[in-house]
Amino acid sequence: MKKIIAILLAGMMTATAFAGCSGSSESEAAGETSGDSGSSTEVSVDGSFPDVSYFGDEDNITLKVWAPDDAVSLFKEQCQTFIDHYSEKTISIEVVAQTEATAATQMLNDAEAAADVFCFPSDQLNKLVDAGVISPVAFTDAVTENNSEETVSAGTLNDTLYGYPETNDNGYYLVYDTSVVSGEQAETLEGVLQACEDAGKKFIMNAGDGYYACTFAFTGGVTVDGLEDDGITQKFADYDEDEAVATLQAFAQLFQDYKSTFQSLDISNIASGFDSGTCGAGIDGSWNATTDQEALGDNFGASKLPTINVNGEDKQLISMFGYKYVGVNGSTDFAAASQILAYYLTSEECQQQRAEELGWGPSNKVVQESSVVTDSVVLSAVNAQAANACVQVNISSTFWDPMGNLGNKLIADDCDPTDTETMKKLLEDTIANVRDEG
Amino acid sequence: MIKSYKLKRHIANFFCYLFLIVMGVIWISPFVYLVMHSFRGEGMVTVDYLVPHEWTLQNYIDLFTGSGGSASLNFPRWFMNTFIVACFSCVISTISVLMVSYAFSRLRFKSRKKFMNIGMILGMFPGFMTMIAIYYLLKAMGLTQTLVALVICYSAGAGLGFQISKGFFDTIPRALDEAATIDGATKNQIFWKIILPMSKPIIVYTVLTSFIGPWTDFILAKIIMGDNRDNYTVAIGLQLMLDNDFKNTYYKQFLAGSVVVAVPITILFLAMQRYYVEGVTAGGVKG
Amino acid sequence: MTYVEYKQLNPFQRFAHDFKKFFVNIPHALAKFFKAFGRGFVKFFVGIGKGFRNYGTNFVKGDWATKLSYIIFGFGDFHKGKYYKGILYFLTEVLYILYMIFFGWGYLCKFPTLGTVETYTYMDGIIPKTVYGDNSMLILLYSVLTIVITVAMLAMYISNTKDAYKMEQLRAEGKTPTSFKTDIKEFMDGKYHITMLSFPVLLIGIFNILPLIFMILIAFTNYDKTHMPPGTLFTWIGLDNFTSLFDVVNSSKRATTFIKLTEWTLVWAVLATFSNYILGMVFALIINKKGIKFKSFWRTLFVISVAVPQFVSLLLINQMLQVNGAFNVLLSNITGQDIQIQWLNSTPLMARAVVLIVNLWVGIPYTILSMSGILMNIPEDLYESARIDGAGPVRTFTSITLPYMIFVTTPQLITQFVGNINNFNVIYLLTNGGPTTENYYQAGYTDILVTWLFSLTMDSQDYGLAAAIGILVFIVCATISLIVYNNSKSMKDEEAFS
Repeated sequence: MKKIIAILLAGMMTATAFAGCSGSSESEAAGETSGDSGSSTEVSVDGSFPDVSYFGDEDNITLKVWAPDDAVSLFKEQCQTFIDHYSEKTISIEVVAQTEATAATQMLNDAEAAADVFCFPSDQLNKLVDAGVISPVAFTDAVTENNSEETVSAGTLNDTLYGYPETNDNGYYLVYDTSVVSGEQAETLEGVLQACEDAGKKFIMNAGDGYYACTFAFTGGVTVDGLEDDGITQKFADYDEDEAVATLQAFAQLFQDYKSTFQSLDISNIASGFDSGTCGAGIDGSWNATTDQEALGDNFGASKLPTINVNGEDKQLISMFGYKYVGVNGSTDFAAASQILAYYLTSEECQQQRAEELGWGPSNKVVQESSVVTDSVVLSAVNAQAANACVQVNISSTFWDPMGNLGNKLIADDCDPTDTETMKKLLEDTIANVRDEG
Repeated sequence: MIKSYKLKRHIANFFCYLFLIVMGVIWISPFVYLVMHSFRGEGMVTVDYLVPHEWTLQNYIDLFTGSGGSASLNFPRWFMNTFIVACFSCVISTISVLMVSYAFSRLRFKSRKKFMNIGMILGMFPGFMTMIAIYYLLKAMGLTQTLVALVICYSAGAGLGFQISKGFFDTIPRALDEAATIDGATKNQIFWKIILPMSKPIIVYTVLTSFIGPWTDFILAKIIMGDNRDNYTVAIGLQLMLDNDFKNTYYKQFLAGSVVVAVPITILFLAMQRYYVEGVTAGGVKG
Repeated sequence: MTYVEYKQLNPFQRFAHDFKKFFVNIPHALAKFFKAFGRGFVKFFVGIGKGFRNYGTNFVKGDWATKLSYIIFGFGDFHKGKYYKGILYFLTEVLYILYMIFFGWGYLCKFPTLGTVETYTYMDGIIPKTVYGDNSMLILLYSVLTIVITVAMLAMYISNTKDAYKMEQLRAEGKTPTSFKTDIKEFMDGKYHITMLSFPVLLIGIFNILPLIFMILIAFTNYDKTHMPPGTLFTWIGLDNFTSLFDVVNSSKRATTFIKLTEWTLVWAVLATFSNYILGMVFALIINKKGIKFKSFWRTLFVISVAVPQFVSLLLINQMLQVNGAFNVLLSNITGQDIQIQWLNSTPLMARAVVLIVNLWVGIPYTILSMSGILMNIPEDLYESARIDGAGPVRTFTSITLPYMIFVTTPQLITQFVGNINNFNVIYLLTNGGPTTENYYQAGYTDILVTWLFSLTMDSQDYGLAAAIGILVFIVCATISLIVYNNSKSMKDEEAFS
């Protein structure tokens, strides 16, 4: 009897073995037919709310949304409005605080435990798409129509739109104390530094961080232009090497001339320095605008980045500029509901609310024209800078360290601004490192 | 002659005191700075002077009430979490360390030295890559984002740290065991009735080191907890306060939180210092 | 030197002789280590071979119940009246089979390819839906789990067949098997090591060894930013990650970075260990010097830094060493000038020196703690004979205290050395690898191998490369410590006190 059982068991094991190994071929076949079934049908969207029919047969929906801390309460209200609007469906939404910068890291660690709908900055798009954890946008046509062209194109990878544009203000700008720096002085980097020096205050910028330091390269024309076909190597636009080197030299010269004024520090020191009266101006992230405003009060001044004089010509500083998106988790159980929610959260109505309450710059074309935006000093400054910026998308992960190193080298004590050869070598090495060559 | 010898000794002692005082000041100054600035009322991150101008308890009040900023941070909860995790993991760690080191020190069995060698080198692998594996193992057990997972992680590898306490057990005379064996005691009884009561220093040492672990880990805990802020430990919580989004608002609270974390550990450490020294000395020499 | 000659030396000379011998013996020890390693290897396979032979002979010789237990676990035990053991064996078999059917086998089949089914997205109306294919990472992880369980199962299986045969012989001799109660008693005494070790070994097996095997295997795959599960598959690539570390021609930047960082890691580990050790000893000596009062007060003063979590104190010191930090403020106040020194971010030499000094601040308290007790144990006769020879205090220190301490605490020193090779916190929190350079790949001048490994995993997702580095670091650490431990006094004189 027992022998029979054993034989049976052994038989079962082999059977499952075959089943287990052969099971894969079917789904492989399914995989080949993918991709061609998607067609862009006319989407009926009623203002901020897509038609309820898009839910399909999804019901008893539970969703998790990741929002940055300061936006959690507003997101909760907006989600409640969403639930109320689709009263025929049972929906419950949990809004969880999650800093945008770490959203991608956590998505990559474990997408199943992550939120169904999450906010992320544009530079993380590649990672998310490569790891296959983000779902393409469903309402592409409507989104493209409503949002500014840049935000849509920066959210598009391989001709597929992956993120619902949420803001267009993820960059940095010049913030200054108007009692130290006048509006006119703020137009040139030389002017700002001179004004700070005269007042005995510091000018703070994080020159050792690639995010800010890439300005030095960009201003000289060394701008990024997406990725090579291999999907990982950074491509640069054509540039004039002499001009790029001359620009680097001009920066280095300025940093040397204003050695005691220019400080390379973490940007949290800018607001902190305003507060304690040691800082005159700085290049700060747009997300810190509220803190800067609180620290400076009436003396708050903001503008696009200044110009720098290179061989007698004033050149506008070119910055890295990004956008923020709302994405849908590919492994969500409620694909349709998540898409609809993401659409709603980035709609005109919600963007307007966020612009009013949080001061977030909208990506929606209509909201961009509204008085909230046009009257805001910060948003106008940020928007003015956006015109002079490289879009932070398709940036390889090897980009940041070499750029940060470039900044560190320019501000180093032993940097010789007149040494063209060394500067040229530095630029070449930086680009080679970004491209992971040599 | 004798007088000059005394004088020489006095001068030598004077320089020793001087050395100790100078070094003591250097060693203690970061903490003085930390404590002072945790009571600072003005400024955000740094100020360009050493002594705060305005003294306040506000940072501590904000820390415990969760106010003073827009983020949802719950320091008291994190503190409790860490405390609970530390207690449980230090019990489990201590038990497994004692078991392993007793076995290696007192019992003789096949492949004992091989086991010891393996145990010694296992802990030398840089662990970052294994974290994701640990995460998915815990996930398969349905334990991610829970405090239980942390307890397991912090105490699972404890057995590998047997060297010091094995060294300690080695110093306990074997004649004691032999006498007990003649009296008919089993190995089990010897462990409980003879060895354990003599091991106070090493137990305290092990308890102390394993209690401190959960308060300081900020990498593995973050991976395990993900977005579940309610189950954060103080280490990830404090780390979070230094995030770019929060630093300006929460830096002073971070300082206050650091002081709050340091206080219990310092007290525990000072109270137990004597045993710690005994344990590490006895175990270290042999270990 | 003969034994008699040795015995005639005074303790001081005798000690010097032992000390010299220890270091002279190191090459020999190295050779012995590798020989022992090779022997162990051979023994292991011979053992396996023997196991198979026994396995066969037992089957041929055994009765029908023993033969049956080659398929049904525990049948032999059960048949011979050892019920509880038979049932336990049988249960493990059933559990194993269930595990394989419902979980393990599916993953194990995909182990050779690490998955073939790709993830794809299709359109359900206008709603894009993602269908996930194979997740290479999970396949690898759960395959490792299955393999570990299977190996354990095989061991169980062999012991089951052995047991069955043993029971049969026992019965043939006319004896009855031991009862459950006697067996339990045996586990409390003769087999107490099994009782003591099984729980910790189980935990270590699951949470240390298993992830470790996983990580080692990752080094042979192309798991990187373009092969990220669940979206894309990764697969086996053999030794490519290792060759890229040593291949100076094709990927010179990785190779130079690896070589340069290895150099600095070793320099760092040596300097950090010895500076800590010697200075810590000086501190301990002064505190324990005769005539110094308030000993415990001084000790406490230095030991407080142990109690504050390292990441807090290091982040704080990082802040204090910034251009506008407390340190420059203090210097400005003293000198009356505006001091702006980049402590952590100017020249490599300065940053490295600062890191070493801060490491002293972190490490000396530990050294003081462990030294205080040992210092008092130095045999007084060593000092006396030195004094008779007319040695001054400095000479006594350099030729007695220091060598004695190094000799006695070699194992500790090695632990610290290995700990410093893996000293992540100090470097990561203090400088994060900086000052940066264009000559390294994703690393700076103060980066050691582990911090490089960390940034490779966390920032650029080069998992395969990072795992390869991890393995190399491990091999170095493990070899050093195995040799030193197995030749150290404590290992040899394990029973000195018995």
